[in-house]
Amino acid sequence: MSTHGATGRFQREELVGKYLTFALGNEEYSVPVLKVREIIKIMDITAVPQVPHYVKGVVNLRGKVIPVVDLRLKFGFPPQEYTERTCIIVVEVVLATGARMMGIIVDHVSEVLNVTAEEIEQTPEFGDEIQTDYMKGIAKVRGQVKILLDLDRVLGVDGTVSMPQPSAA
Amino acid sequence: MELPLATSGLAAVEEAEAVADIAETASPARTEPAAAAPVTEEDLTIDDAIELAVVQSDPELGNLFIAEALDHLGTIEAALLELDERPGDTGLLNDIFRPFHTVKGNASALGIVSVERVAHKVENLLDLARSGKIRVGAPEVDLVLRAVDVLTMMIGDVGHRLAGRPRTATGTEAVALVAQIALRIERQLAAAANRSDGSGLDFSELAAPVASEPLDAASATAARVSAGESDTSFDPSPLASATRRKDDLATATAIKVDTRKLDNLVDVVGELIVVQSLIQQDPALSSLVDGRLARNMAQLRRLTADLQRNSMALRMVPIRQAFQKVARVVRDISRKAGKPVDLVITGEDTELDRKMVEEITDPLMHMARNSVDHGVELPDARQAAGKPARATVSLSAYYQGSHVIIEVKDDGAGLNTERILESARRKGLIAADAAPAPEDIHRLIFEPGFSTAAQVTEVSGRGVGMDVVRRNIELLRGRVDIRTERGQGSMFLVRLPLTLAVLDGLLVRVGTERCVLPAAAVRESLRPLPEHVHFVQGHPRMVQVRESVLPLVSLGALLGMGGSALDPSSATVVVVEEGGSRIGLVVEELLHKQEVVVKSLGDSFASVRGVAGGAILGDGRIGLILDPHGIVAMVREGGRRAA
Repeated sequence: MSTHGATGRFQREELVGKYLTFALGNEEYSVPVLKVREIIKIMDITAVPQVPHYVKGVVNLRGKVIPVVDLRLKFGFPPQEYTERTCIIVVEVVLATGARMMGIIVDHVSEVLNVTAEEIEQTPEFGDEIQTDYMKGIAKVRGQVKILLDLDRVLGVDGTVSMPQPSAA
Repeated sequence: MELPLATSGLAAVEEAEAVADIAETASPARTEPAAAAPVTEEDLTIDDAIELAVVQSDPELGNLFIAEALDHLGTIEAALLELDERPGDTGLLNDIFRPFHTVKGNASALGIVSVERVAHKVENLLDLARSGKIRVGAPEVDLVLRAVDVLTMMIGDVGHRLAGRPRTATGTEAVALVAQIALRIERQLAAAANRSDGSGLDFSELAAPVASEPLDAASATAARVSAGESDTSFDPSPLASATRRKDDLATATAIKVDTRKLDNLVDVVGELIVVQSLIQQDPALSSLVDGRLARNMAQLRRLTADLQRNSMALRMVPIRQAFQKVARVVRDISRKAGKPVDLVITGEDTELDRKMVEEITDPLMHMARNSVDHGVELPDARQAAGKPARATVSLSAYYQGSHVIIEVKDDGAGLNTERILESARRKGLIAADAAPAPEDIHRLIFEPGFSTAAQVTEVSGRGVGMDVVRRNIELLRGRVDIRTERGQGSMFLVRLPLTLAVLDGLLVRVGTERCVLPAAAVRESLRPLPEHVHFVQGHPRMVQVRESVLPLVSLGALLGMGGSALDPSSATVVVVEEGGSRIGLVVEELLHKQEVVVKSLGDSFASVRGVAGGAILGDGRIGLILDPHGIVAMVREGGRRAA
């Protein structure tokens, strides 16, 4: 379906650049470093009532109140105790209502990768069981597959944190 | 021009230009015949593509123009209200002319022709007045005030159109205004000519109502002007000016700052306070006994507290802006209702959070409208009651602790207790046999659904009741009371916190979380005796607090935060009052009172009910700030579902 250079909604060239990769279970995901504001150790999170279970609550980041989403739960992984390696990656996402800072909880942060055009692969068709619209594409680096996340979609369908749950892989 | 420190670039350039051609416009050669070139509606509704071309290419410039123009119009309005009291003051005329000229010049430079055309007409009138060719009285002030309204609307509309929204203002009002200004100039010039002819015409005759002129478009809006004609006075007002002129230097050293920058500063300072107290309470540090360290720590604490106070103060502005709008309303209504009123303003320099000043303006205007329309009697009735024919309405603001008190006071007839009681009984607001205390009767005017139908007039009876006023003030975490004495007048007493950024809170534990209840809504807290807790279907549902039985709700269960399935007789019940209804909330533990800095949770959590925001607590964690209004609403709905 895609012609040369395009992978899904994005041109291959748009996806080239530096990515921060992190792990959820055995899978490797990545977000553009330009989106990342900082990485903090998991900290005390204040629960907020009446929100989806993957929204863990809010934290205080130097005087700012930041919502935090557990990406494991969001993607339908089984919950896991937070460890020493658990991190909150603070990202800036663009929602329908404007840019805002949000935190995502990941198992651990891996590395910063420079993804070249050759390493970018088309997003395969997985069928109905897996939602692919929050993937920008896939990069195959040193034989390993990294999923390039579209954070604006992951964290903000309709500008709220209550979004349809993707079906479990 | 010298250093344009306070003014932005746009204004500075225009200011220089204004000074340059003030002399020019003042010369008689430039004074165009008043009736020439009538402005039509088409002239004022020019297609966006043409009129907004320049500002669309540079929206920054457009927004700058709008902000500055609205600022100038505010200044002009204030000066006009003073001019109303001292019509002969040429200095004031200059103060009005200059910003008008700047607005016109800027509009012209940016190609916003409709604004320029209207402003130009008004400028003509002002220029003639400045050069003494026409005299200024109440009708002229009225016209220019209307022009300020029309231009404010038009300029606001430019903002709407820039944002891609459709035009809301039509040119009708502006066309009527321009026509009236032209007419006024013509009449005044004729009068001046007659005076110099020595024909001895009585001036008051010339000031005949403009409304009777056959001006279709104008007649609808001319009523206000004609009402003003009747007490046209050319004597400088002997009354002490209530709105005293402010030192212009005060504004010259001010700078404009984006509020987001201020918020960032406040955020960081708030965090600094937390870190400072964390260090201070650090066990490793407190075990050290060192005089120098203790002294330095104390000094650090003082400085951070000082820094916090100062950064909070950055958001504060004088309440003057709100008072100005009230002054305008009082003036308009007193004319319309034929009730001469002296407005006395005090404490207009009292500072409040900028947002508070904006939010309190409407309620204040409504209360002042009520005072003049319902409170103040007609001059005959006043004299019959042995009071001066001119009524006095006073508006004052002052500090009381960490609150600001605003009073709106009139020396009118006062509330009619019997009529309110009768009306409330008829509407079923109270039981037919109830006999409340007078203060409770007076508070009934704040109840939803209470409207004294006998008093509905064009001015006050527009469906916005005092219940809305109370609601808006409660949203600002304030309180409104009324004091009244029959025949002596009434006084609305508004009590507001200085800022919405800081909240007086009561810290409670709900489930495993700590939450903040606004102290203003908390009436009391208690450990009820077992026999005072009433069960319905096996669940504790009601609690008896002295004489009254209140609904009892577990806060944790209500919000979905877990916990609180406790036996309320061993837990703590906090009684919360909101909008006149009281409920008992069961919490795990009552911690302590604390002043907290209010943070928004952001629109991600906009749909969460019962939570108003977040506060950063002493240990750096966030505590949710609860919203009593939302909680009471949730309890009510829950009750309906259960029923």
